[in-house]
Amino acid sequence: MNAAQFLTIFISAVFIYNVILSRFLGLCSFIAISKETKPALAMSLAVMFVTTMSSIITWFIYRFLLIPFNLTYLRTISFILVIATFVQFVEMFIRKISPPMYRFFGIYLPLITVNCAVLGVAVLNVDMFFVNSKAVAGSFYYSTFQGICVGLGYTLAMLLMSGIRERLDLANVPKSVKDFPLAFIIASIMSLSFMGFNGFRF
Amino acid sequence: MKKLFYEFLKGIIKENPTFVLVLGLCPTLAVSISLINGIGMGIAATFVLLGSNIIISLIRNIVPERIRIPCFIVIIATFVTITEMAMKAYSPALNRALGIYVPLIVVNCIVLGRAEAYAQKHSVLNSLFDGLGMGVGFTLALLLISGIREILGAGKILGFSIIKGFEPVFVLGMPSGALLVIGLLLGFFNVLKNRKI
Amino acid sequence: MSNRLIVSVFPHLHKDESVSKVMWTVIISLIPAGLAAIFIFGTSALWVIILGVVSALTTEGVLQVLTKRKVTILDGSAIITGILLAYNLPPKVPFWIPIIGAFFSIAIGKQVFGGLGQNIFNPALVGRVFLMASWPKYMTTFTKPASFDAVTSATPLALIKEGSVLENISYLDLFLGKRAGCIGEVCILALLLGALFLLLRGYISWHIPMTYIFTVAAFTYIFGPKGLFSGDWLFHILSGGLILGAFFMATDYVTSPLTYKGQVIFGIGCGIVTAIIRLWGGYPEGVSYAILMMNAATPIIDRYTKPRVYGRE
Repeated sequence: MNAAQFLTIFISAVFIYNVILSRFLGLCSFIAISKETKPALAMSLAVMFVTTMSSIITWFIYRFLLIPFNLTYLRTISFILVIATFVQFVEMFIRKISPPMYRFFGIYLPLITVNCAVLGVAVLNVDMFFVNSKAVAGSFYYSTFQGICVGLGYTLAMLLMSGIRERLDLANVPKSVKDFPLAFIIASIMSLSFMGFNGFRF
Repeated sequence: MKKLFYEFLKGIIKENPTFVLVLGLCPTLAVSISLINGIGMGIAATFVLLGSNIIISLIRNIVPERIRIPCFIVIIATFVTITEMAMKAYSPALNRALGIYVPLIVVNCIVLGRAEAYAQKHSVLNSLFDGLGMGVGFTLALLLISGIREILGAGKILGFSIIKGFEPVFVLGMPSGALLVIGLLLGFFNVLKNRKI
Repeated sequence: MSNRLIVSVFPHLHKDESVSKVMWTVIISLIPAGLAAIFIFGTSALWVIILGVVSALTTEGVLQVLTKRKVTILDGSAIITGILLAYNLPPKVPFWIPIIGAFFSIAIGKQVFGGLGQNIFNPALVGRVFLMASWPKYMTTFTKPASFDAVTSATPLALIKEGSVLENISYLDLFLGKRAGCIGEVCILALLLGALFLLLRGYISWHIPMTYIFTVAAFTYIFGPKGLFSGDWLFHILSGGLILGAFFMATDYVTSPLTYKGQVIFGIGCGIVTAIIRLWGGYPEGVSYAILMMNAATPIIDRYTKPRVYGRE
């Protein structure tokens, strides 16, 4: 376990292979919720929480359940079940704590379950930190950290996008590209600019 | 009968899952690099959508509200597994072409989205036609996007090179290009919509 | 909704001037670099500039007519975009590159946002990055200066990226522009003349360019190839598109922060990203990407560096 690996994970997940702008996982919620900064930040925190916790839980399941019983092919199904259950808990929690926010999120809260970013990071952790069905040294910490960083990358993209869209709210945008088309075009340009980090090597 | 036909039709234009509801984008962008992938994915997703809509509608009164999402997921995952196995058996080439995106239908927002928003509130027959319409709409959207991306971005159709001397626009094969194509298509459809009114 | 009233967009001019006058002054400041480009690279450079400008003007005019807006092509902003895009291209690119690039710059980089003053990203850079991703082969084929046959040569930054040793390039060569590169970026002397003109007349302030350049110098000095504090920072300042970018593109009013504090943050951010890409990224040059990324961050920067309103908490 070394610091360089942590640094690489951080830079990869947040900038080079930004979960939304490079891997385009998590787009549905990104396009829908990034209109204003406050909800965007709230959604980002929720997603980061889910990615981190599910990284942890799925790590345990993979390490202590799937590998010993030779059930690694059940990876996708078991991971998605874990994530779905966990999101359901988060949903109940938010509903209790803040009903207006719950109503605001609407369909997009249960959709964190199928937020490709969440399943994506779980699968990525397994691919990166388990070799030949054995856990790499420190893989638990790497996996958890990667879960956090993917959440951070999501937050970064959301923050930038919401700032931009809030400013454009005041602008006299052509009617046909208002809202969604423009959001995609902005995401396209952001994705282009993040490509500058391609081929990054420490 | 007319009502059922309407349920089907709305998935294609009025409530097209990709261009109007803006759902299911992750796999759309990833898969739409070539026409073959687009068609294959569209058909697979339609099958899953049909199956899951029907079953979920059937059991909608039995499932407790609190655990509905995990239940839906299990049902969807089952259909995805069936699709995957069928594809491996009857069309291994397509399976290889689509790769990990077949299991990723599980996280296709359209499938869960329709289950949550429609199938759990409507009758089986309605859900069937809704699923069919959404699936066809999704497939058509995929065809359009992957057509543009393959022809302009790689200079090919279905893997065959066309026009010599044409410099393909590489960026269309990348995430950025995909986002651009969708953004421009959405804008284009808006223009059409505004003209009608 | 109170924040709707506070932040205003370009132009907020202190003098009693029109948008046009500002634009045309900037165009004048860009002329030295253009003349240098033609002198160093020949008529192909002239063609690139002309094609870029004409394409930009045409695109803007047509789009404004189609969207039933006022046609403002004579205000000079489209011309600047065309020129800047051209300056970011290698000299012997096929004719359609500047045409498509300028079209994309104006259409997607500017008009889609609602036109002048409302774009988030620097239009010329949007076009350039699009071209780079779409036709990398043409965008990275450079010619040796003062030779009018198609002898390709790599830019100094590209050579460093590959690890080759630089031969026969002195600081003076870099300063005057005797090197391979994009047509508007190579002649530092000409660029600085134009920049000085803008600075003295008060059209741009020193905050962004100075912080940008200083940050790049600091980073490249500290993280040198032979261990810490061994970097050749002067080389880095004079190479690539840094001077062109720092003085003429990062300073674009519309796409950079409003307050001086924000501008300093912007400059430092651009510098950090540019340095990181140059030192450890896959591409030899990072100026375009850095500026675009900081453009994206500008709304957030503005939000958190709003000047305090007296009388309120």
